[in-house]
Amino acid sequence: MLDYRAFALRTLSRVGPRYLPFADVATAEVPLGRLLRLSLFQVTVGMALVLLVGTLNRVMIVELAVPASLVAGMLALPLVFAPFRTLIGYKSDTHVSALGLRRVPYIWKGTMYQFGGFAIMPFALLVLSGYGEAVDAPRWIGLVSAALAFLLVGAGVHMVQTVGLALATDLVDEEDQPKVVGLMYVMLLFGMVGSALLFGTLLENYTPGRLIRVIQGAAVATVALNLFALWKQEARDRVRAQAMLTARAPAFGAALEQLMRGPGTIRLLVVIGLGTFGFGMADVLLEPYGGQALGFTVAQTTKLTALFAGGTLAGFGIASRVLGRGAPPLPLGRLGAAIGIPGFLAIVLSSGLGQPGLFLAGTFATGLGAGLFGHATLTATMRAAPAGQIGLALGSWGAVQATCAGIGMALAGIVRDGLVAMPALSGYGAAAPYNVVFMTEAAFLVLAIAVAVPLGRFAGHKDAAGHRDLAGRDNRKNPVEVA
Amino acid sequence: MTDDPDKVWPTGLTLREAEEVHSYLIDGTRVFGAIAAIAHILVAVSTPWLG
Repeated sequence: MLDYRAFALRTLSRVGPRYLPFADVATAEVPLGRLLRLSLFQVTVGMALVLLVGTLNRVMIVELAVPASLVAGMLALPLVFAPFRTLIGYKSDTHVSALGLRRVPYIWKGTMYQFGGFAIMPFALLVLSGYGEAVDAPRWIGLVSAALAFLLVGAGVHMVQTVGLALATDLVDEEDQPKVVGLMYVMLLFGMVGSALLFGTLLENYTPGRLIRVIQGAAVATVALNLFALWKQEARDRVRAQAMLTARAPAFGAALEQLMRGPGTIRLLVVIGLGTFGFGMADVLLEPYGGQALGFTVAQTTKLTALFAGGTLAGFGIASRVLGRGAPPLPLGRLGAAIGIPGFLAIVLSSGLGQPGLFLAGTFATGLGAGLFGHATLTATMRAAPAGQIGLALGSWGAVQATCAGIGMALAGIVRDGLVAMPALSGYGAAAPYNVVFMTEAAFLVLAIAVAVPLGRFAGHKDAAGHRDLAGRDNRKNPVEVA
Repeated sequence: MTDDPDKVWPTGLTLREAEEVHSYLIDGTRVFGAIAAIAHILVAVSTPWLG
């Protein structure tokens, strides 16, 4: 027995740590490969977004014949959860764990909810649409289960993205943060574009069985990718675990108030909200605008989305490079919004002048602006995050960003559906209502820039003084220093 | 490696750590169990396999 025990201990100690999901030590230098792996959680977030906003939207209305107003209501449910991102971030900041973990438990929980939502979603949708014997079932079963499925996916996405970004901020030094932000955004875009194409092809010949397979396949892919992303990212830390036991965390309200008192925090959040809303509507409306106002064919309008995404990618690339060299993020964010304004103007003018080239240039410029703006503002949030409140800071970024992007996309969808349904609405031609929307977006960007102007002062002051830098670096070594 | 009354054999985790790892297992089982139950009920509503 004793021999066996000694042998088992020796063997375990040799091979054990390699097969544990936690890292043994926190490494000072995080290699790019590991960050690339971590950013995979954004692929699942993108996949969930596309499935909810794009694919299921169409499937529910076209194939399942669910009333459009009900579909809109269901898809809005995850949005309701967006403000809770601050709470999730706060919880992960103050989490008490014997293993010294703060982020991984929440990402795993979020992954489970996301998986659970996708696992019951196809059946819930089939019951909702009265498939098979479900015609005779009480109406509330379908409604409640579909609502539950959407809520679970929404809650899971909010948890995974908020805490995942907080973990990424934990892991890297300030000078590497732009690189990580770029990686996160590219992965999100990749997840959205890739899964949109994939789901579109898979559901082209719709059958109920196929719907079940596709959505549950997405569920399995979510768990697999997130597990792979999480593996060995956060260190098991007994010292930190001891500190967690004795640390007294401030209440949520007090912590939030403390964060909001930071110089320029609220202003930055307002800028993010306005800019995200302004750029958020463009994506959905470009295709129908190209088709109706400029007479593009379907194949050509699909390429518009690719052009927009290409512009966004270019924006991410430029922002990563420029900010990685140590440039302050806020002027770059303003520049992004400023590029968006002539972009929208070019789009508006193109229909009046009949210039498709101008429209293409405007589309690319808008995408470029959106990429620069998104990257720069997230980098600014990460840099400004106080060491003990990284989760909370990224939670408030996510709450504002997700709410505004969601409302923007939903509004654009409503506008688009209304316009496609009755193109002869006005006597000014098909382009006029779109142009009103594009001008509104440009106006929101002007507002964002106007609000952002005083922000440079705070950032400049902080860079010049440099004390945040010092505090941030010291605190990161010992992250449980809750005041 | 040495015998420590506070540590759980054979992993070398302390009791609290071991309980936390175990709690993840329990939570996961509960959540996945509940999801499976709901999914089965929904399938039974649309395509009953009993009765």
